[in-house]
Amino acid sequence: MSTLLDLPPFGPRDDARFLAEMNALTLRHRSGCEAYLRITEGMEPATRREELPFLHVGLFKRMALSTELADVRPGRVLESSSTSGQGASQVRLDAKSSALQARSSRAILADFIGPERRPLLVLDASASLRRRGGMSARIAAAMSLEPFSEGMHFLLGDAADPASLDWNRVLELARVHGSLLVYGFTWILWQAWVEGRPAEVERALAGTRVHFVHSGGWKKLEAASVHRDRFDRELLRGLAPGSKVVDYYGLVEQVGIVYPLCESGFRHVPVWAEVLVRDAASLACIEGEPGLLQLMNVLALGAPYHSVLTEDLGRLVPGACPCGRGSRRFELLGRVPRAEVRGCANV
Amino acid sequence: MSDSRVLFDGPSGRVAVSFPFDLDALIADWDRLRVPMARHLPDAFARDEWAYLITFLESSQLLRVFTETFGTRADPGAKPVPVAALFQPLSSLAVWLPNNVSLLGPLTTILLSLTGAPLRLKGGSKSEDLTAAFLDFAREHLPADGPLARHLDAAVRHEVFDRSDPRNAAFAAEAALRIVFGSDEAVAAVEALPHPTGSTTVSFRDRRSEAWLDPEALDETVLRTLLAVFAVYGQAGCTSPRRVVLLGSDEEGARQLAGDLAATWPSVVKRSPAPHESSSAILGAQWARALGWSSVRAPGNAAVFAAGSLDCEEFDVPLGLSIVAASEEQAIDSLPANIQTIGHALSVSRGDALPARLAARGVERFVPLARMHHFGPVWDGIEFWRRSFRRIEVGR
Repeated sequence: MSTLLDLPPFGPRDDARFLAEMNALTLRHRSGCEAYLRITEGMEPATRREELPFLHVGLFKRMALSTELADVRPGRVLESSSTSGQGASQVRLDAKSSALQARSSRAILADFIGPERRPLLVLDASASLRRRGGMSARIAAAMSLEPFSEGMHFLLGDAADPASLDWNRVLELARVHGSLLVYGFTWILWQAWVEGRPAEVERALAGTRVHFVHSGGWKKLEAASVHRDRFDRELLRGLAPGSKVVDYYGLVEQVGIVYPLCESGFRHVPVWAEVLVRDAASLACIEGEPGLLQLMNVLALGAPYHSVLTEDLGRLVPGACPCGRGSRRFELLGRVPRAEVRGCANV
Repeated sequence: MSDSRVLFDGPSGRVAVSFPFDLDALIADWDRLRVPMARHLPDAFARDEWAYLITFLESSQLLRVFTETFGTRADPGAKPVPVAALFQPLSSLAVWLPNNVSLLGPLTTILLSLTGAPLRLKGGSKSEDLTAAFLDFAREHLPADGPLARHLDAAVRHEVFDRSDPRNAAFAAEAALRIVFGSDEAVAAVEALPHPTGSTTVSFRDRRSEAWLDPEALDETVLRTLLAVFAVYGQAGCTSPRRVVLLGSDEEGARQLAGDLAATWPSVVKRSPAPHESSSAILGAQWARALGWSSVRAPGNAAVFAAGSLDCEEFDVPLGLSIVAASEEQAIDSLPANIQTIGHALSVSRGDALPARLAARGVERFVPLARMHHFGPVWDGIEFWRRSFRRIEVGR
């Protein structure tokens, strides 16, 4: 069990301890996952974090990877939302990792939205919770906010229909509570809350402190020319000071680690995680230039997703951040651009 | 209707083929288009694709389509010989082009333009349409009063819409011949549309190809040819090798070949890979290893080559090539059901038995490696181009 989780998320780092725990995890997964053993065959323990092996994020869309050891009690399968058209990633959760991941996300999010509990409004349908066998990334994200909630309220009658938002419930809560927490996927928050918000609700929310937390990316909104400034401005219109919009980046393949955007526009790495940027052609680690993000954490005990090479582009930004959350930070630049498939096969 | 009649001497005697244009002048126009093509590369095309088109449009290449189909061109000034059959272009053709970005669209359009039949083309709605880009280029650079420009204007229409559009039915309702590139589902949907009695559908579905090599034939030239053929479309080309079979060798031989291919790649494929291509190769290498293959990446993570046994489960990334060693029997037994082309480099003469055995297994083309992508009037074993004509028997 990692002791790094006992430290403040954005305090001083202990790189030696992180490296030792990652090496231990690599050994653990090599002993319990045959596929991982084959992939990492011949690799020696890392002497530097740059030497830590990774799995390509695409493997989780194509293989069910799990670590079969006596202390792993398999849980539900977490599925991504499959926005790239390549199928959904699936990550097998387990009890111990889930406990660590819950502690992790709570510690990170508390640093951005405060620890107090308030009603949590989720832009999803309660039926999504009852899905058999697996859990969607959307629900997992909402559940990560449960420690900050005094009652969870699922507002959509139909998870796929932003227009099914129950505004009466919002009105009831706004009239009683001075502080609310709202979570939704980025595009749903825009379509359901901003575009669908009745004037009566806007009046009722005037003077209420609302924290909006969203994830899921900007692709759909950018296609509609809705950018971050406008998005935040519209959400916060008329609300009490102290209201804020928190956009976080996270992957199902790194469940438990979220990277909210700080007040200065950067994403900070908690001390129990690490981010490297690699050049795609050489796999060399680079700093200050865009490259593929490699994300790591010490929480994944039940499957080898402790170190993942993503297809997201990012750039490490050296130096102290004005927000005060330490110097390990990066900019998220978007997905690796893909060209269209060329060829005649399988159309 | 016809502006010209061309005579050929074939196996069944002399035939006359009618066209609504001067055939030689039309072919000359296609050939002349190669000059501006050599100077301009439209954004839609990869350099390799454009180069292939330039070669394809050479007049002797286009004339070969006629000689392969009808026979030797007859000398019109020689002593007259009774005509045994007349060929006329069908009343109209409709083509559902591939949804992927594919050179098959422009190539099919060029060949079908030579028939003189009115042609309606449905472009893929989900991707960049090379046919539209090619036709735009042709119309811009051809002499407006030339036979080809006039024919393209009068008889060739290209539209882009999806499979639910009512224009699909309009296309099918008029066409004497429907040519469909698509999935089994897409082909079935077109076949089900109301169509003229007696009309025909020709379909080109998802097919796979392989490269078969004898170790003794493996030299630098074969390696480079294999890479050149593979690099054009990777696994997305129906005539691209999805698998290399090293006949009569073993896993060590397969591993050696994988390493040689990876090492040779940069000297054959000069361009640097895009980041998503490198990412894909990294994924492919790991996926292959997880499945029991032994994988190696080309420099720059430009491609991945994996050696393994016939029992290894397949992996599928755009520039990923698997290599297995097998006996001839094993190679035949493990052919996929939708095999199309086998490109070969064989040193030992296997006689006529091998092609016949492969034909029995559904192989449509057994050609030297360098000809794997060669497109012509017969495709997937179907004489689609010849079927764009009606044949009228002439008896005396």
